[in-house]
Amino acid sequence: MRPVPHTLAPAHAVTRRRPSPSPLARLGTPLLALLVGGSLAAAVVGGLLRAGAVTTGLGDRAVVGHAALAHAALMLPGFLGTAIAIERAVAIRRRWAFATPLASGLAGVCLLAGAATTGAALFVLAALAFVVVNAVVVARQRAAHTMLLLVGALALLAGSSLFAAGGGLAAASALPWWFAFPVLTIAAERLEMTRLARRHPASLPTLAACVAALGIGAALGPFAPVAGGAAYGLALMALAAWLGVFDIARRTVRAPGLPRYMALCLLAGYAWLGVAGLAWFGMAFGCPGRDMALHALGLGFIVSMVMGHAPVILPAVAHVKLHFSGWFYLPLTLLHGSLAWRLFGGIGRPEWRSAGAALNAMAIAVFAATAAAAALAWRRRASAPGRDAAP
Amino acid sequence: MPASPETAAPAAFAYEGPAELRDAVTAALTRVVDPEVAMSIVDVGLVYGVTLTADSATVRVTMTSAACPVADLIVDDIHDELERVLPAGCELEVELCWEPPWTPAMMSARARRFMQW
Repeated sequence: MRPVPHTLAPAHAVTRRRPSPSPLARLGTPLLALLVGGSLAAAVVGGLLRAGAVTTGLGDRAVVGHAALAHAALMLPGFLGTAIAIERAVAIRRRWAFATPLASGLAGVCLLAGAATTGAALFVLAALAFVVVNAVVVARQRAAHTMLLLVGALALLAGSSLFAAGGGLAAASALPWWFAFPVLTIAAERLEMTRLARRHPASLPTLAACVAALGIGAALGPFAPVAGGAAYGLALMALAAWLGVFDIARRTVRAPGLPRYMALCLLAGYAWLGVAGLAWFGMAFGCPGRDMALHALGLGFIVSMVMGHAPVILPAVAHVKLHFSGWFYLPLTLLHGSLAWRLFGGIGRPEWRSAGAALNAMAIAVFAATAAAAALAWRRRASAPGRDAAP
Repeated sequence: MPASPETAAPAAFAYEGPAELRDAVTAALTRVVDPEVAMSIVDVGLVYGVTLTADSATVRVTMTSAACPVADLIVDDIHDELERVLPAGCELEVELCWEPPWTPAMMSARARRFMQW
């Protein structure tokens, strides 16, 4: 018989009547949504320009030039940093924690306006606040996954500090740290899920070794590019293997509906994480493959995770419930198909690479449209005659 | 793992209240799914206890992680499901507890089978 807790400590209990957004949240949610969506849209436009998928019409406006220049900053600490900071602020339920996404969202606006130094400084402030938010999480629950979340926040701080040290104009030295932030955050969240399954005794030590290798690779990069790049690539490949072996997605993929969709987003992402690691490793030894290293990781792994997580997270952070349907597989298939087209088909064929990048952007746009349609579908079903509750 | 009243596991949480409402309350809570893990909150072992009186209901729940952003969503779903089965005028409160911390030992046998323990 499973144990049933009977001894509750009232000091740790929080009573909640039906949750309702505060007046501040009513104002803050649209602003933060605008900052998250704006960072993503600007990052995508900048990426299209960099990939040569858009060459006319947009490129003569300064803001578009800034978007191209700041593509990585807008996507990583801008879009992902802001979105993940909102998620964490919602979790700890502290108003001051929303200063983190506000600062990183405004940093993106500064970069687009050409105020690179101010933008970079705001990214550092946001990352510092994010470290404090994650320290609060660790103080509430000292566990391997919360500590890994804190390590991810420190990686964001390291990346943003390097970016600021360069005046907010070059992201090359910051990239390994910025990428480590979502990679470690995802690993931490999946590690938490592994508690539901029987944990292999080797799972925690091997994950710790992966995290150490990732940190060593990122830190060594500027001083010893070969050793640093090789360690970073090996760490990504090892993490992909770790997630593939230990994640509960291999079990939840057998459940129908949303759980299967989420599991497929995860499992496909792990395959791209392995590809990114291989490309990063090869780059250290002079092999071409920068686009593969950066975008197998950024699009194949991270955006796939975002697509999988959004149907669960949007209701939690934006109070927008979604009606899940098979339509969500359309942008997911488009994302992974177009990425394979871009990264494998585009080898030696720049026009395929550009077309693939355009299709990557289309996948993100189709996902946004699918999510919006799913929100409308939920509202329609919830308000249909004869229904008194959510579908 | 789909949860339905027909396949609801026996309540594995402390229950104080009218015996005739016990099954309905258990079934209602079983319909609430933790979206992160795709299992009923009863099966995951997130429900610590329910106390029902003539005019109030208190549900004590926990989350698997302090960094879990879906807590409000789950609380909202608990309200949706329980308000369907509680007597009219019964005021519902949900307490989010962090002590004792959740452990895998709190999962139901069905959840453990699904996770291949």
